Amino acid sequence: MPASALRLQIERALESRFPAALSPPPRQVREVASTGIREADRILDGGLPVGAISEITGPACSGRTSLALALVAQRSAEERVSAWVDTSDTFDPESAAANGVDLRQLLWVRCSDEPARSSRIYQKLDQALRATDLLLQTAGFAAIVLDLGDIAAEYAYRIPLATWFRFRQAADRTRCSLVVLGQVPYAQSSAAVALECEPLHPETAGSPASAGSPAVAGSPARAGSPASAGSTVLRGFTFKLQRARQRFSAIHAGPRKPPASTWSAGAPWSATGGVPQVSQGSHGQVLVPAMEVSILRPGRNEP
Amino acid sequence: MTTTLYACVHAADFPAQAVLRLRPDLHGVPIAVVDGRPPHEFVCAMNRQALGKGISLGMTRLDVEGIEGMKYLARSLPTEAAARAVQLECLSQFSPRIEEVSSGTASAFVLDITGMERLFGSPVQLAERMRSALASSGFRASIAVSANFHAARIKAAATRGITIIPDGREAAELAGLPIASLPLPENPREVFAMWGIRTLGELAALPEVDLIARLGPQARTWRELARGTHPHLFEPIEPEFTLREFCDFDTAVEEIDSLLFIAARMIDCLVARAADRALSLALVTAHMRLEGGKTHQCLLRPAVPSTDRKFLLKLLQLEIGSHPPQAAVQSLELFAEAGRCGTVQLGLFSPQTPEPSRLDVTLARLRAIVGDDRVGSPVLEDTHRPAAFRMEGFAAGAPARNRVPGVPRMALRRMRPPVPIRVILRDARPAEFRDWHNRFAIAAAYGPWRTSGCWWSQDSWDLEEWDVLADRSDGSSVACLLVRDRAASQWRLEAYYD
Repeated sequence: MPASALRLQIERALESRFPAALSPPPRQVREVASTGIREADRILDGGLPVGAISEITGPACSGRTSLALALVAQRSAEERVSAWVDTSDTFDPESAAANGVDLRQLLWVRCSDEPARSSRIYQKLDQALRATDLLLQTAGFAAIVLDLGDIAAEYAYRIPLATWFRFRQAADRTRCSLVVLGQVPYAQSSAAVALECEPLHPETAGSPASAGSPAVAGSPARAGSPASAGSTVLRGFTFKLQRARQRFSAIHAGPRKPPASTWSAGAPWSATGGVPQVSQGSHGQVLVPAMEVSILRPGRNEP
Repeated sequence: MTTTLYACVHAADFPAQAVLRLRPDLHGVPIAVVDGRPPHEFVCAMNRQALGKGISLGMTRLDVEGIEGMKYLARSLPTEAAARAVQLECLSQFSPRIEEVSSGTASAFVLDITGMERLFGSPVQLAERMRSALASSGFRASIAVSANFHAARIKAAATRGITIIPDGREAAELAGLPIASLPLPENPREVFAMWGIRTLGELAALPEVDLIARLGPQARTWRELARGTHPHLFEPIEPEFTLREFCDFDTAVEEIDSLLFIAARMIDCLVARAADRALSLALVTAHMRLEGGKTHQCLLRPAVPSTDRKFLLKLLQLEIGSHPPQAAVQSLELFAEAGRCGTVQLGLFSPQTPEPSRLDVTLARLRAIVGDDRVGSPVLEDTHRPAAFRMEGFAAGAPARNRVPGVPRMALRRMRPPVPIRVILRDARPAEFRDWHNRFAIAAAYGPWRTSGCWWSQDSWDLEEWDVLADRSDGSSVACLLVRDRAASQWRLEAYYD
C-alpha cells in the first residue's frame, strides 16, 4: 500500500477526533485559540492568541466572566486543562458547569478570604500574582485566567510592568493563553490583545412584572428596553464587545479605529447565528467590528 | 546432589550502626551509644573511631564524657527495629530463606544461599555483592559462607570481612577461634578454663565419650559446634515488606532545615528499597514526636507514585513549611506505602497537560500561599441548595472525550460571604436596596424563585431569589442576584451577573 493511501486511511480513521492528523498544519504566524463564541473569534481573527497575554476589560456586569468561561469551556472540550486564579473569590462553579466547563479539568485557586481592606487587597493581589507565576512556570495549562475583575483599578495599577513582562515571557515559553480580567487594561504593551466589554441590554420573557421605578438613564434596562416593558424572566443579556488593541493585527491605512460599532447576533437563545457587520464610519474608514452576544441564564426554569 | 550452603551476615555494634546510618553528619566522629537509666548509663556499642579512643563496652557515661572529642548518643530501640527491618529487606533480595540469629547488641542473619550461584555467581561474588548492598544501606557487616549453618554463624561473629569456608574444612577454619565464640553457660566455661582449653580447635580435639561423661550430654553439642558438624533445622522467617524509617534525635530539633537533612537520608533509603522491588512511593506519612508529648503528622500524596528523591523531598519541605510542627521534634518516622511505578502513556495526538510531578510541587506551593482548602477542582454537590460545592484535589487526568462546549450562559460572580442589605419593597417587590456603601435603585426585578430543602435537619434553607437590574448612586448600573432568607427574614446580595 503506498504511503499516501496509508496516510489517507489513518486520517479518515481519526477524522472525528483529529482533522488531518498526519498532514502538516498550515503555517501560522501567530497561533490562536477559539474563545467558543463565533462572533468574538471573528473580531479576533480566529481567537485569543496562544502564548500571550489577553486582557478582557469592562465594568461589572459587562460579560467579562462569561467570555472567559466560554474560553475555558472551549479549552476543556479540547481535553486541555485550565486554571482560574480567583483574586476576590467570586468564581461560581455552577456557572462554569453551565457553560460546559469540565470542572475536573479546571484548577481553581482561591486567594485569601479575608475581608476587603486595603492591606488585604494587596495581600490578595500578591497571592494571585505569585500563583499565576507558579502556574505559568509549571507549563501544561492551556489557559490561565487571572481574575482581577473586582479589584479596583487604583490597586491593580500598582502591579509593576516588569511583572506583566515576565508573565508575557513565561506564557510565550509555555504556550499558555493568559487571560486577565479587569476593569481597565493593566498589562499595557505586554498584552497581545485587549477586549473591551460593555453591557447592552437584558433579554427577557414572560408577563409584565417590572419594578415600580422606571429605568434610569444609562442602565441596562434603559439601553435595551425589554425590561422596562415588564417581564417575569430574565432570559439573558446582550453584551457589547470591542477589540481595543491587537498587537499582531494587519496594519490598515487610514484613520484610526472609531470608538465603537455594533453587530447584532441573530438568535436570542444561543451565541451562534448572524454574520458580523463591518460598517464604515462617517469619513469612510473601516470600522473595527464589535459584536453583541446573547447569553442565557444558567440552570433556572421559568416560574 | 546439591550441597547446602549458608551465608551469615553479622553486624556488630548494631545500636551504633542503626543510629549513625541516618546521620551522615556524624560520620568520622567517635560515637559511643549508651544504654540504661541515668545516671547508670553504660556503653553498649561504639564505632571504630570510638574504639580508637579507648572506649570499651560497659564504660559508664561519666567515663565517656571524660574523653576529649567523644560524643555519646542514647540507645533507641525503635531506631534499631527500623534498621533491622531495612537490613532484612536488603538481604531478602539475595535469598528468600533467611533465619535471624541476632544475639546481644549484634544483628545477625543466616541466609540459605543454596543454588544461588546462577543468579549471583560464586560464594565470594555473592558475599561481596551482599556486603556492598548493605553498605549502600548504611550497614557494616562481616560475612561468612559455609556448608554448615553454625560454622558460618560462629565464623561471621568472630571475624571481620568476608570468609569462605570450603566444604569439609569447617573444623580447621574454626580451630583458631576462642572458646568464648560458643554460647557456653558459666560453669562449663570455668571448667574449660581450668582444663586449659582456650580455642575451639582444642575443644574439638577432646574425646567425645570422655567429654560427655564429665560435662553431660550437651557437651556433645559443643564439640560438634567446635568441629563445624552440628546439624541445624532451618527456620526461615517471612519478612513483611514495610517501608518504614525511624530516627530518634539525641537532642530535639527545632529548625526545619535540620529536620529535612535527616529526612532526605530517610527518603533516600525508602526510595532505594522500593526501587529494588520495582515499586514507587505512593504515599508517605511523616510522623513526628514533639517535645511535651504531642505528635505532628504530614501526609505526602504524589499524583503518581514516584521514586524521585528530590521531588519527594521538595513535597515534604513544602508540607512541613505550610504546616510546621508546634514544638521541637524529638523523633521522626517516615512510613511509605508502595505503589506501582508511575507510567504515563504519552499519545501522539494527546494534548499537553502539566507533568504530574511538577504539578504536585506547584499545588503544594499554591497551598502554602493561599491555604489547604483553597486550591483544587470544584465539585458540585448533589443538592438543590444554591452555590453548593466542595473542593477536591486537582489531577490533570484523562478527561471525558467528545465533550462539547455548551451554549454561553450568563456567569455569576458570587459574593463570599454574601453582603447583607436593606431592601425597600413596593407592591411586595424590591424597589430599592442599600449595602454598606451604595444605594441601588432597582429598575427591573425578575422573580421571585423560591427554593427550600432539608427541612428535616438544621441545614434547612428557605430562600427567595430575585434577579434585579439596578442603578448605583454613582450612576453605574448592575445586574445582580438578591436573596431573601425567609426563615431569618434577611436580605442578601448574593452575586453579580457578569
